[in-house]
Amino acid sequence: MIQSLVYGLTIGAILYFFSIGLSITFGTMHIINFAHGMVYLLGVYFFITLLAAFKGMVPLAACGALLLGAPVAYLTERFVIRRLYGESLDYAMIATYALLLIGTDVVKFFWGTTPYPVTDPIGTSVHILGFGLPVYRILIIALAVLLFLGLNQLTKRSVAGKIVVAALEDKDGVRCLGINVDRYFSGVFVLGSLLAVLGGVLYAPISTAEPYMGYNILLIAFAVVVTGGMGSFTGTFVAAFAMGLVIAFTGRFWSQAADTMVFVVMTLVIIFRREGRTEG
Amino acid sequence: MLLGDRETVLLRVEGLDVAYGQAKALHEVSIELKQGEMVFIVGRNGAGKTTLLKTIAGLMKPAAGSVVFMGEDVIGLPPEKVAQRGIAYVAQDKKVFSQLTVRDNLELAAFAAGMELEQALDIATTMYPDFKQRMHVKAGSLSGGQREILLIARALFISRRLLMIDEPTEGLASIVIEEIFRILVNTKQQKRSAIIVEQNLGIVKRLADRIYVMKEGRVIEVISDPSDTAATAELESLL
Amino acid sequence: MLETYSLRSNAPWTAFKRLPVLAELVLIAAVFTALIPVLHVHRVNDYMIFCIFVLSFDLLYGYMGRLSFGQMLYLGTGAYVSAIFSIHVNGNPLLSLMAGLAGGTVTAALIGLIVSRLSEAPFALSNLAFNQVGFFLVGSTFQNITNGENGLSAAVESWGYLDFANEYVAYGFILCCFLLVFAGMRYLTASPFGVMIRSIKENEVRVRFLGFNVFWYKWITFVICGAIAGLAGSLYTLYVGFISPVFIHPLHNVDVIFACLIGGAGNLYGAIIGGFMFMGMKDILSNHLAQWEWMLGLILLSIVFWFRRGVTGLLASFARTPARVPRPRQMEERLEP
Repeated sequence: MIQSLVYGLTIGAILYFFSIGLSITFGTMHIINFAHGMVYLLGVYFFITLLAAFKGMVPLAACGALLLGAPVAYLTERFVIRRLYGESLDYAMIATYALLLIGTDVVKFFWGTTPYPVTDPIGTSVHILGFGLPVYRILIIALAVLLFLGLNQLTKRSVAGKIVVAALEDKDGVRCLGINVDRYFSGVFVLGSLLAVLGGVLYAPISTAEPYMGYNILLIAFAVVVTGGMGSFTGTFVAAFAMGLVIAFTGRFWSQAADTMVFVVMTLVIIFRREGRTEG
Repeated sequence: MLLGDRETVLLRVEGLDVAYGQAKALHEVSIELKQGEMVFIVGRNGAGKTTLLKTIAGLMKPAAGSVVFMGEDVIGLPPEKVAQRGIAYVAQDKKVFSQLTVRDNLELAAFAAGMELEQALDIATTMYPDFKQRMHVKAGSLSGGQREILLIARALFISRRLLMIDEPTEGLASIVIEEIFRILVNTKQQKRSAIIVEQNLGIVKRLADRIYVMKEGRVIEVISDPSDTAATAELESLL
Repeated sequence: MLETYSLRSNAPWTAFKRLPVLAELVLIAAVFTALIPVLHVHRVNDYMIFCIFVLSFDLLYGYMGRLSFGQMLYLGTGAYVSAIFSIHVNGNPLLSLMAGLAGGTVTAALIGLIVSRLSEAPFALSNLAFNQVGFFLVGSTFQNITNGENGLSAAVESWGYLDFANEYVAYGFILCCFLLVFAGMRYLTASPFGVMIRSIKENEVRVRFLGFNVFWYKWITFVICGAIAGLAGSLYTLYVGFISPVFIHPLHNVDVIFACLIGGAGNLYGAIIGGFMFMGMKDILSNHLAQWEWMLGLILLSIVFWFRRGVTGLLASFARTPARVPRPRQMEERLEP
């Protein structure tokens, strides 16, 4: 039971790392960003390669993956998103999906299609009430909570954070103050992508890396973002952990159904939240 | 219709045509504003007043015409560039950043205007002392009148050169209208240039240096002397 | 604008207008038949079935402006329902076809109740989610019926002359279905109903303010699209005889999106040309390259940035007379006193 709980919270934490960027990108730019999965995927493979090159020094490899992921995210924003920004949502979806296709094939080309297992970098467990809990998983959960608190402080304390919160609500209002919101949106985009990479790097040791991992987590993250409310900081946090628990507890009884249950939950939320939303 | 020589003209809008898809919202609208003037635009709903202000603010692109501000054409500039030239625009919808506190709302404007925060807060609280108790309240919980005052305060930081306000008193209680009137009188005394869209003729008559009357997307009349009772009496029949 | 929304009765003169449609059908049949010696009949059959699928997607995206990332669900439902029907109920090909068509229709009718209320991102994503659920049901939950990842052999028998083992008989049958769908779509898109769904694409709010039940139109369109996709799926079952979860895999939604866009969305010929281009590309590239989907990605990017109207749009712009009426330069005129 407690193991399922820890497992669910771990998945929730990873989903939070991944979804927060997706959610804020939608909230600020109104773009559904399939390329988020591409950056995540590439980040994980960079990490695996660097881990081998640095002889298993995890923090160093993680930093390297982030450093390599940043230009990928920036180029995506600069040359694809920015060109389609404010235009048709459909074209933005299609273009970013195209990037995901390309990214998946790039990974297949350079790293092959066989899954890469990575071992738990800490490997020890703590024993609470007789249950063995892997320290690494608890670390991931703690980092996600820290990230949530950190982002909260960032939006409350820093001018940049306040600008993003204000722009989520009324973009033209911010522009009419003389603030170039697009610059901040680019920053948010890159930051969100890096958080996804970080999530992938943290997740890699307890899962396996394969070329469709970007696509798979993207599907679940969409459910998280739709459930939590697009562009909501707190909603994404709550929805990510809720979905993590849904996956863990469904998986306990019926392992294949775990991911599908997420979509059932999302559908229920869509149906029951219909009032007050864009009907029609 | 030239009102003065080019040096003192701050803003000249000429032959502005704006369309929403097929529907034309403005037909050859021309207005002028000299340094330090407070100009009012009146007209019924749908006359194109809001469209005119939005176009000047850079939120809408005109099909034809020019907007020359301090000798430079500002058409086609995005709203943030327009604002950086010292033109502030307060929209009609009284939309503050409701998730942020009053203080944060003011801080963003001060940041954008490059002002010291303390100085900005001073200006705001002198203008409307009630803000002192409400600094850490979410702006979304303010009343309609307080929101409008907050928006005007924000705009005052930005508007080094020109202040534009769309219907500041619309839908507000008379006690708040008096507060806003007092603020507008202050701005006029400070010789700030302003274009204000307003339906409340009591305020218009007392503050206007000149009144443009709009109807169905055109300027149908210019009242250069608001003390002329005959002209303003006619105005009432137009609204 | 208003009068185009009003429903016009079928005046007697519409009988004359049917003639060109007939000519179009003959032309299409002639082109496909001429392709048999070039491509071999089995490819032409494959391509035609895919084109039916693209037509179903084009109605949804090209005409009504609803981008779905879940159209594979209805193709797969049609394929699986007709296969399972042929195994457990009756091997008659026409009955299997009907069963698959009904499967696609009923699934779309139920899911349409939820997704037709959505638009833009929530629409695209919830369709993707439903597709994922369907994929899961086929691949895991109902493994004992669908045979999971291993795929399922249909038990379609021949019925009189209708024997799908004979590729030319299959060709004739698939061509008939294809022409029927094309003619139906042609009629539908030209009808007041078609005008309505295009108006929904342009400006849904305005259509609703005019007093129309927008939800009903969107739902019906969604169901029609599901039905046609289901038909395409059951044709795969009849013709190929073996289906696997690939036919319902959400990753393949990009195929139909790609085909629709490259041909030119909102154009029936665009859907056909796009369907052909995609299948041709897939055949050629997958023979020579281990990974070829990045090519799809690159082409999709260039479509989005430079050729949004696809091949038919390009052809139309070549065909158009180059004479342009110079627009009056209003700004300059105004400078003169």
